[in-house]
This record gives sequence, structure tokens and C-alpha cells, in this order.
Amino acid sequence: MSGENAPVPDSQSAFGDRYEVITATPLPEFSTRGGDAFAVKDREKSGGDIYALVHHPSIPLRNEVYKTLRGKPVANLICPVDRGLMNLLINGRKVQRLVTIFGRPTGGALMGQDGKVNPRVNANRLRQNVALSILKAITALHKRGFMHRSIMPTNVYFSTPSSDDVVIGECYSMPPGYQQPFAMESLDLALADGTARGAGDVESDYYQMGATMQALYFGEQIWRGRDRDSMLMARVNQGSFWALSGGREVPGALGSLIRGLTADEIDERWGAEEVLDWFEGVGKPKRTTMKAWSMNRPTNFKGVAVVDRRLLAHAFARDPAEAASFLKSIDFPSWVQMSFRDEILTDRLESLLNVKPDSGFGGMRSDDYKMVTRVCMFLHPTGPIHYKGHSFFLGGIPSMIAEAFSRDDRETLSAIVDLLDAKFLQTLADVAEVQGVKLGTHLADLRRVMAFAASKQLGKGMERVLYELNPILPCVSQRFGNVWIGSIIQMMRALERIAASGTTRNILLDRHLAAFCATHGVDLEREFNNLAAAQHSPAKFNSLSLNFFGLLQQRCKMEALPNLTSKLVDGLAPAVKGLKNKKRREQVQAALEKSKKGGDIAKLSSEVNMVKVQAEDAREFAQARTLVARLERERKKLLRKVQPNDPEARKIGLKGSRIIALAGFLIVAFLTFF
Amino acid sequence: MSKKKKAPAVRRRRRPQREMSGFAPMLVVGFAGAALYSLGSAIIMALGIAPTIVLGFTGKGEFKAERLQCVGFCNLAGVLPFMYQAKLRGWEAVVGDAINIVLMFGSAAIGYALVYVGPMVAAFVLQGLNEDRLKKIGQQRQSLVDLWSHEVLGDREEEQKQNAGKGFIR
Repeated sequence: MSGENAPVPDSQSAFGDRYEVITATPLPEFSTRGGDAFAVKDREKSGGDIYALVHHPSIPLRNEVYKTLRGKPVANLICPVDRGLMNLLINGRKVQRLVTIFGRPTGGALMGQDGKVNPRVNANRLRQNVALSILKAITALHKRGFMHRSIMPTNVYFSTPSSDDVVIGECYSMPPGYQQPFAMESLDLALADGTARGAGDVESDYYQMGATMQALYFGEQIWRGRDRDSMLMARVNQGSFWALSGGREVPGALGSLIRGLTADEIDERWGAEEVLDWFEGVGKPKRTTMKAWSMNRPTNFKGVAVVDRRLLAHAFARDPAEAASFLKSIDFPSWVQMSFRDEILTDRLESLLNVKPDSGFGGMRSDDYKMVTRVCMFLHPTGPIHYKGHSFFLGGIPSMIAEAFSRDDRETLSAIVDLLDAKFLQTLADVAEVQGVKLGTHLADLRRVMAFAASKQLGKGMERVLYELNPILPCVSQRFGNVWIGSIIQMMRALERIAASGTTRNILLDRHLAAFCATHGVDLEREFNNLAAAQHSPAKFNSLSLNFFGLLQQRCKMEALPNLTSKLVDGLAPAVKGLKNKKRREQVQAALEKSKKGGDIAKLSSEVNMVKVQAEDAREFAQARTLVARLERERKKLLRKVQPNDPEARKIGLKGSRIIALAGFLIVAFLTFF
Repeated sequence: MSKKKKAPAVRRRRRPQREMSGFAPMLVVGFAGAALYSLGSAIIMALGIAPTIVLGFTGKGEFKAERLQCVGFCNLAGVLPFMYQAKLRGWEAVVGDAINIVLMFGSAAIGYALVYVGPMVAAFVLQGLNEDRLKKIGQQRQSLVDLWSHEVLGDREEEQKQNAGKGFIR
């Protein structure tokens, strides 16, 4: 595969002409995992404070959030104003990136990236302004069906230097909860990998609101300074509020707000109604029965006695090999009976979990990993799926795949391929359902792509899964490292630029490019199957490439692409050279030369259907070879000198003699009798 | 159930088809015809075509029918005038002249000569025809080579092998 990189377009887009991103002035307080923020100047409209976020291509955006906020902004939330592609010079490198313009709060973040709290933050403001502003923003978002999931003290800003009103940062540039610190996520979501937490729920936003207010109250980065395991132990054993505060109390009404918001049980956690009651001074303590996560008898796993089933699930997930051998070594039904006396292990659940004793053969198998996953789901049904050391919610799989591709993490990708097994996922859903938990509606989405995951075929495989599950993600092929390819039209234009400066040979063998085309194009499966079948025959492959690009150009109703056409025609040289019929070769060459100047690939491929020409040529050549062989056989036969005793000569000679004799006889008979 | 032994398959040999199967009936018909014409003629015929009859019953090998017909027609051509004379002069008069017998048997010899010469002439003619066909094949082959290059002959590899090392010759 050629390593030609697509050059950045020479001209700016209309969006790029309007906005001038000042890359020399970064705004780190607005930067997110999804992009880097810079100061920006609007050339058309002066006035309003704005900033630009230059998106990272490998992190999927929340496009639906953009669509809803662009038309109808939400108060107390940084909303997008506009977005478009723009050529930028970043770190001395010219690149084309998607840039989103946001309204910019000028009052500064409530907590800086360095952990310093804004001097204007105090308990009174937290109680009177911050809580209400955050509540307004997230309830408005929830009404539109979205969760924010990125609320952090560093992501909340005073709207102006003089105003007490605060706004929360944008939530569109990255997936929900993407790489959010462990302490800043509700316990169930926090147990998942940072890249795969899924959309979450309304309550998880309230948790983040509470954790943010707690951090602002203490004036410290409460998510830092403790390792994940000890924080998890503390959160499970003491509750998140005490774990985050480090045992310090938050006195007064603010304390009860934060305690309510950071409650670990969803049934206990405060929502919009409770917070509003709190504002009005109506204290309605929300108490429900505590769900018992502790087991009746501790389980000794790897030398540690674990009582909480969530912690046991987590411990199993951290070391699946050890967990598998542990599960095989015990009498599972008895263990369940002893550890969970309140629960009955029904036959159905037992068959779903399918924990088999050690057969004594071989080491760790794929089935063993799945067995551990099922047991983890049984232990902690509201938690993430744990598989081969990865923890994720089904809704987080798209962003997890995107992140794995950005790091070229083949191990994670192969784990996801294993996981994308309809039967296995259905079993997990059934295990969770038996426990009274719905696994989610993401199974249907995943079922759609399962057929592609394990395929090695061009236009399929995990690359296809990546683009199917993240339709907004640009093509992340290495060729397009400098440009943003969000549609087939943009891809074709980028290829035109590559063709102008380099070579496009075998470009369709690029798995990312093929998967991107297959996802964003319609009915291209047959074309990709043909291309995949011809990848070892350059002549045929180039002919099919010409047809493929012609089809795309026609479907997208694109302008002429002279450079790409020229390169594709050049690529056909081996195919033309491979034509055996000299006359046909000359005709095709002339037709190609004539059509290549026009830049219309569709027209070229319809005028010179190379695949058909090649097939016809091959067929006629085979016929010619047969004819030559026949002539050769005949020639060899004729070259031999004919002898009178050759059967043929004898036969003809004797027949001739017989005719002469008969003629003589008839003449004599006539002369004698008449 | 008793098992019956399968009898070994018996192959019937086909009788080789005899090329001469129609000779005897034709001979009988010929004699009958001649006898109706004249008894003397039939006697002359029986005497005159003795070489053909001998060949008919003793001849072997390929093209027996052609050979027999060739000798037979020539022989008959030599016998017919004497059959006519036998009707006019009586068969004794014809047989009485030894030269007549020589002429009748000589006509059979001409038939034998034709059997000998015919294939030679045919071989000569066929050789000529073959040469014409060879010329045409050469032209046809050349037109195919012109259209499809030498590859159509399937000797590209051989050519390459033959040409290998030619570049080193100065």
C-alpha cells in the first residue's frame, strides 16, 4: 500500500473564510478530549465572544447533540454556533480539520486545570447560583433526550467576569463520559473503561453535578491523588460521598444536596425534583430500601476475602484466567447458595451461566473468558460487561472501537470481535434480565454489524464496524491524516489531490477507505467483492477500480476529476498491455487517451468497459489458441510425404481405378452392343 | 433363500464383416443374364472372367472390394466383345482361337495394373494438394500471429529461453 498522504486543499472553505482560528492563542480551559480550543475571530460579525474547537479525527462526535443545540441553544450550557472544515497551521503542519465555533463564557472556569479554584467560588454561590445553573442546563438537555456526562469543576465557567451565572462546558466533541475520571462518574459507569461508558442515564449527570459541587466546595481536585483500586474500595465500602470527601463532612444544606446527588444507589440519588425541593427548603429525604450488594459469606479470591459482589465481579474481571480456574474449582450451585442465601439459582439461570467444572484439559479458552463474563454479569448486573480484561457498556462499544483504532490496539479489537457474538450477548442480556436489569437497546445496533466483524474481506471487518457504529467519524486512513474526510465526495476530492501530486495505486486496498466507502455508499457490496477477488491481479483490479470510482462519481454527481482519471488510466496500462489482440489494444489505448482529458470517470468506464474488454479478449485469445493448435496438428500431418501405400492414397487410388475400369467397361459394352 | 451363482458373462464374438458378401450373388445373376442372352455367351463369360472369380474367392486384405471391382470391370470389358461373337459364331469358334483367351485374360491384367498404378497416382496428387494446404495454413497462422503476437503460438517462454544470453554476444 502506498503511503501517499492526501494534501490539504489549496483554498479555504466558506466557513474558513469567515472564521480565523488563532492557533497561536490556545484556550486550554475549553479544550476537551475531543479537540483543542483556540481563540477565533469572526470576520463577518463582530461582537459575541466565541472560541473554536479543532476536533481530533479519531474521536467520534455527538452529532445529534450538535443538531439539537445548533438550532435551539440551551441556557447555561456552552452551545455550538457553527461548524465547518478549515485549513489550519498547527505545530507548523498544514492540516484540514473540522472546527466548531462555540459561544465563549468569559468569566473563567470555576476550577483551573491546575486545581486552583476561581476566587469567586464560595459556598454561598455554590448553593445559590452554581447548583441552579447546572440543574437548568442538564434538565434542558435531558428533556431533549441527551445526557451531558462531562460535568467537571474544570468544565463549569462563570458566564461573564461580573456575573454569578455559570455555564457548563460543551458535551458534543466527545462520546458521553469519555475518559472522565473514575471519581467523577457514578459507580456503575465508573467501573467501565474510560472509553466505553456509553450514554449512561439521567442520574449519572446528577452524580457528576454533586461530585463537581463537592470538589468546588473543598477547592481541590478530589479525583486525583488516589489510585483507582483504593478509590473503588472506598466508594463501595463507605459510599461515594465519603470516599470523595476523604471523610470530611459538608455541613448545612449544601451538604445534604451533595450527599443526595452523590448517592450510589440510583433509587436514592436526587433528581431534578429533589433539587428543586431543596431550593425551596422543603427537605424530603429520599430513602428507599438499600440494595444489598454484600454476600452472605465472603469469598476468598486470590487471597483476599471479598464480601461485596460488585468488588468480586471487578476482581474477576481484572484477572479472568484466575477467575476461570477459581470458578471451575468450586461447586458453583453450592457456592451461590452459600453466598447469596436470598437468591435462588434457578435452573434457567444455572444453564445461562453454564459454569462447568474443570475438565483438566488445556489452558484458558475463549469459552472460559465468556464464562467469567457471564458470572460477572450475574454478580453485578447493573455494571459493565467484563471481557478479557476490558470493561464496557454496550453503548460504549463504538467509542471503544474508535479509540482502539486510534492506538492500533489489535488486542482490544480482537476481544471485541469475540464479543460480537449474538448468542453470547443474548445470554448476557438474559442473565441481566433474570436479575431484573435491562441490558439496553444497543443489541439491535450491534446485531446489524456482527456479520462484518470477523470478516477479512475488503469493505468489511472491524473497520466497517467502526464506521457503521460511528457514522460521524471521518475516514481515519493514514492517507487522510492531514485532511478531514466526512463523506464520499470529500474522499473523492482528496483522492483527486493525491492523484495530482502522487500515486493512487492500489488505493482501494486500503481497508479503512474501503470500509468508509461501503458504509457511506449504497449497494457497494458487489463491487467490493469483485475488487477483493481481483486483488492479486493488478490488471483486473485497476479495471475494477476505474469502474468503482466511475460509479461513485456518477452517484455523487461530482465535477470532473482529471488528475484521478489520468492516474486511473495510467493504472490501466498493465491491463491494456495485457490485451492480446493488437488491434483491440490500439483501439482501447486511443479511447482511453481521448477520454482521460475530460476527467469524467463514469463516462470513461462506460465507453471503455475494461472488464468486458478483458473478458472478450481472453475468450477470443483462447479461441485463437485452439485454432492455432488445430492448424499445427494439421500442418504436422501434411508435412509427411504421401506414399502410395498410405491408406488414404490407396483408398483414393483404388476408387479412382475402379471408376476408370467401370468407365472402360461401359464404353466397351456400348460399342459392343450398340 | 438360496444364492444362485452368477454365470460368467459370455462374450459373443462378432463375425468380421465380409467385404465380398455380394460377389457370389452378383456372379450368379451375371451368369443367369448371360445365359438368357445366349448359352455360348455364358460359357465365354465363365471362361473369360476366371481371373476375377479366382480373385473373388482368394483375395484378402484391405480394399478387397475395390480391387475386385476394378479387376472385374476391366475383365468384363475384355470379355463382352467375345460374348457377342460367341452368339454370332458359336462359343467353340471363339475358344478355338487362343489369342481370344489371351485378350480376355489380358483385360484382367489391365485391371490388376490399374490396382497397382491407382494409389501411386493418388499419392502424387495428394502430395500436391497437401502442399497447397500447407501454404494456406502458413498464411492463416501468420495472420493469427499478426493479430495476437507470438504468444498465440504458446512459444513465448521457449523464445525467451532461446534468446537468453543473446545479449552477451558481441
